[in-house]
Amino acid sequence: MAKSYDYLFKLLLIGDSGVGKTCVLFRFSEDAFNSTFISTIGIDFKIRTIELDGKKIKLQIWDTAGQERFRTITTAYYRGAMGIMLVFDITNERSFENIKTWIRNIEEHAASDVEKMILGNKCDVVDKRQVSKEQAQQLAAEYGVKFSETSAKDGHNVEEAFMTLAKDIKAKMDRKQQENNNGGGSHSSPNVHVGSQGGKDKKANANRSFSWCTLL
Amino acid sequence: MATNDNQEVQSASDSNHQLTADGKNAQMIICPNCRCKILLKKTAELVNTDIFLPYMRVKKNTSNQESGQVDGEQLSQFWKVDNMFTFENVGFTKTVGSSIKYLICADCEIGPIGWHDINDKTTFLIATQRIHYSD
Repeated sequence: MAKSYDYLFKLLLIGDSGVGKTCVLFRFSEDAFNSTFISTIGIDFKIRTIELDGKKIKLQIWDTAGQERFRTITTAYYRGAMGIMLVFDITNERSFENIKTWIRNIEEHAASDVEKMILGNKCDVVDKRQVSKEQAQQLAAEYGVKFSETSAKDGHNVEEAFMTLAKDIKAKMDRKQQENNNGGGSHSSPNVHVGSQGGKDKKANANRSFSWCTLL
Repeated sequence: MATNDNQEVQSASDSNHQLTADGKNAQMIICPNCRCKILLKKTAELVNTDIFLPYMRVKKNTSNQESGQVDGEQLSQFWKVDNMFTFENVGFTKTVGSSIKYLICADCEIGPIGWHDINDKTTFLIATQRIHYSD
């Protein structure tokens, strides 16, 4: 049977517990739903479909729920991951500080060319901000990754965050594909490794900001 | 699209004729709560099988949480796909019991809207009673 999509990306959500989940609960505040049942079990992953440059992309998005307690995540979990969303809560400074720990963990266990993005989430309606946008932008620049800030008030923009990450993964894949094609041709250039460990000097264009509620 | 493809043999009831076209779902399957797209038209097959699903809505204070029992109902008609990536948007819960994962809306997380047994990697079911349709 023909595939109904062009790309399939496995993405991970990583961050301290609670940084994104609380806002999800907002949508249950009218209380009609059996939220207790689903939230007691917990969500393993979600499949989402987006379109980029006319291509259909399936995203399989995994949450670390439960595992982050141990501050490290097993290698098995990282296996095959092509993109990682590093999430902190802008009203919780500790969760921001821990982003560095998470990045170290990723460098140890994940593929060296995995795309990363930092998201500052504001779950609370009341702004009790502890981490400034500038602080977060600076950290993102240090690691050469993109940064975005989100707010639970405007849930539909969650798609945009994943869109950005997916776009970067797709660009990297297409570039590699291009290199492989060129490699077989007559004017092959020396192998240039794109997007490997040396990602630190990548430019961080961190100025887009959007928001989401349904993190996972 | 083609709504008059009713010539094919359908063992199910009359109402199913409106549901299917060429043996697949005639309309797009969407979340009953937030209208998030779950399955595009003509991607799922209608099947009859009995499966117990916990209720999506529960009244406060009346659940059997203390006793550990889950209130639910036996459902018998489902949309089936054989590959999880056929879904446009869907969420999977963690495994319950030894092998069951419930399916939920990816956006509003209402559910369970469906069911999957991890021992059967080619069966993903969405309950017809728990979704809506759209063109």
